[in-house]
Amino acid sequence: MANFWNLVRNENMKIYRRIATWIMMGFVVLVPVLLTVLFSIFSQGEKLNNWEMMLLESQILFQLITIFAVVKAAESVAGEFTMGTIKLLLIRPWSRSSILLSKFISVVLFALFFSVVGFAVTWLINVVVFGYVSDPAGLIPPNSPLTGSSPWAYALMSYLDQFIALVVVVTFGFMLSSAFRSSGLAIGLSIFLLLSGSIVSGLLAIADKPWVKYVLFPHLRLTSYLDGGSPVPNYPTTFAFSLGVLAVYFIIFNIVSWTVFTKRDVAG
Amino acid sequence: MSQAPVVRLQNVSKRIGSRTIIDRLTLEVNPGEVFGFLGPNGSGKTTTIRMMVGLITMSGGDISIAGHSVKSAFPQAVSHVGAIVENPEMYKFLTGYQNLVHFARMNRGITKQRIDEVIELVGLQGRIHDKVKKYSLGMRQRLGVAQAILHRPSLLILDEPTNGLDPAGIRELRDYLRRLSREEGTAVFVSSHLLSEMELMCDRVAIIQKGQLIDIRSLRGETAETSQAMEEVLFEVDHPDAAIGVLEGRGAANVVEGGFTVTADRETIADLNRRLVMAGVRVYAIRTKIKSLEDQFLEVTGGETVG
Ligand SMILES: Nc1ncnc2c1ncn2[C@@H]1O[C@H](COP(=O)(O)OP(=O)(O)OP(=O)(O)O)[C@@H](O)[C@H]1O
Ligand SMILES: [Mg+2]
Repeated sequence: MANFWNLVRNENMKIYRRIATWIMMGFVVLVPVLLTVLFSIFSQGEKLNNWEMMLLESQILFQLITIFAVVKAAESVAGEFTMGTIKLLLIRPWSRSSILLSKFISVVLFALFFSVVGFAVTWLINVVVFGYVSDPAGLIPPNSPLTGSSPWAYALMSYLDQFIALVVVVTFGFMLSSAFRSSGLAIGLSIFLLLSGSIVSGLLAIADKPWVKYVLFPHLRLTSYLDGGSPVPNYPTTFAFSLGVLAVYFIIFNIVSWTVFTKRDVAG
Repeated sequence: MSQAPVVRLQNVSKRIGSRTIIDRLTLEVNPGEVFGFLGPNGSGKTTTIRMMVGLITMSGGDISIAGHSVKSAFPQAVSHVGAIVENPEMYKFLTGYQNLVHFARMNRGITKQRIDEVIELVGLQGRIHDKVKKYSLGMRQRLGVAQAILHRPSLLILDEPTNGLDPAGIRELRDYLRRLSREEGTAVFVSSHLLSEMELMCDRVAIIQKGQLIDIRSLRGETAETSQAMEEVLFEVDHPDAAIGVLEGRGAANVVEGGFTVTADRETIADLNRRLVMAGVRVYAIRTKIKSLEDQFLEVTGGETVG
């Protein structure tokens, strides 16, 4: 058996040899730059420091990267079926599990790559435009667990939280993509999951039942812990609890993808 | 062929819902053999091939390739196989070369030289660095063959490989497949509707209809050896009616345009000729009428088109 890393290299090749991938990268670079430049031109009274602007932009940025990564997850699995290339891919001396794992890894690497670029761009452009503040007052709320830490720690933690949520949404898209073999459905439903989070959280607040704290949507907003709050309305939870809930969903999604992908016939 | 068969299908069945698409198919393909898999549309050729390469599961029976069960030892079994299932769909946004690199990485020990060698073999060297989306169907078919033979498989499975090839391409493929089977001992399993094509390239053909194996026939070296067998022969003579009289009822003769046909064994044919000549009938030619595979195929499947 050849080296497993070769499978990941193949998946990477199929991601980065597409022009669409680099157009996505263009958005990840341009959107923060534009936001910062426009903000600095049009806001006379408002005074933001580089960290505040960076974290503001990170929220838009992660929505964008999540959508892009879901598109890649959908292409990666469902795309092979619609292109018909799955028939050539699966008749190699590899188990279907290995093929699926290589695809999952490449999509997560894609998300990681874009998140790192996003971090670098948002940091850089805001330092260039607003100057570097080493000790910003009011960035970290007083009841935050990170009070007293450096703005670097706070920013990195915020990106990490958002990245974890991204991986869970992408895993969801990946599951739909292998279950339905339709990229459209996978992309559509994942974006719904991403965007309906706050609405569903609102509804859960009304429902006011103990099980609401096991619902996925609110836990995708891990950053609420950074500001001293917690994501589920009326049911205070801990950061570890949220991670646990996300982990359970992550495992379920992966089990479903794996079961469907390895067991189902490839016909038609 | 004394070696063990490369592929062995034993009672292979496929049911989808209540429909039986493949019904207890049993056959073997030997090393170095070009084996044709013939059947009308919808008879189950592609379904059988999909089971051979593990794309779909079997409802019953088993397939072993080079001694490894496709069911229980899939990676080992499939490492001996190169295949094109239906159309050769490749990654359109990659170049032909990148496609080959992609598939080469999935097997062990495929060198850059081997990739270049294969490109040369299928005659794509001029266009290999173009994106596949710019390829014609025939070029994609060639690239499909290239990816299938990269790792020197002992079994090459091709589902309607002549689809989209021009006459020169078909001829090249045929020659190449024969060479591959002769020189490298590769077993080739080809499905096709093009019956005349199969006659030219296969050693044996299996005919299936409605998922059932109807017949397996050898196409090579039979006519000359089987001297005892009855053959249908055409005599071209000047006066067919007079000639029939000379035969004195030896063999059932039919008068046809410019002669007559008779069914007889080799010795009788020589005998008949002597009699005709003695009787002053001019014999211009004696020809054995070999049924084309097409006739046999239509005979066996009852001329049905879709089954
Ligand atoms: N996924 C499926 N579900 C239900 N029936 C199927 C499926 N795939 C194939 N069939 C049926 O199985 C039969 C065999 O199909 P198959 O594609 O194997 O035929 P084939 O011999 O390759 O035909 P062709 O010469 O047209 O390529 C057909 O009757 C077809 O309708
Ligand atoms: Mg077919």
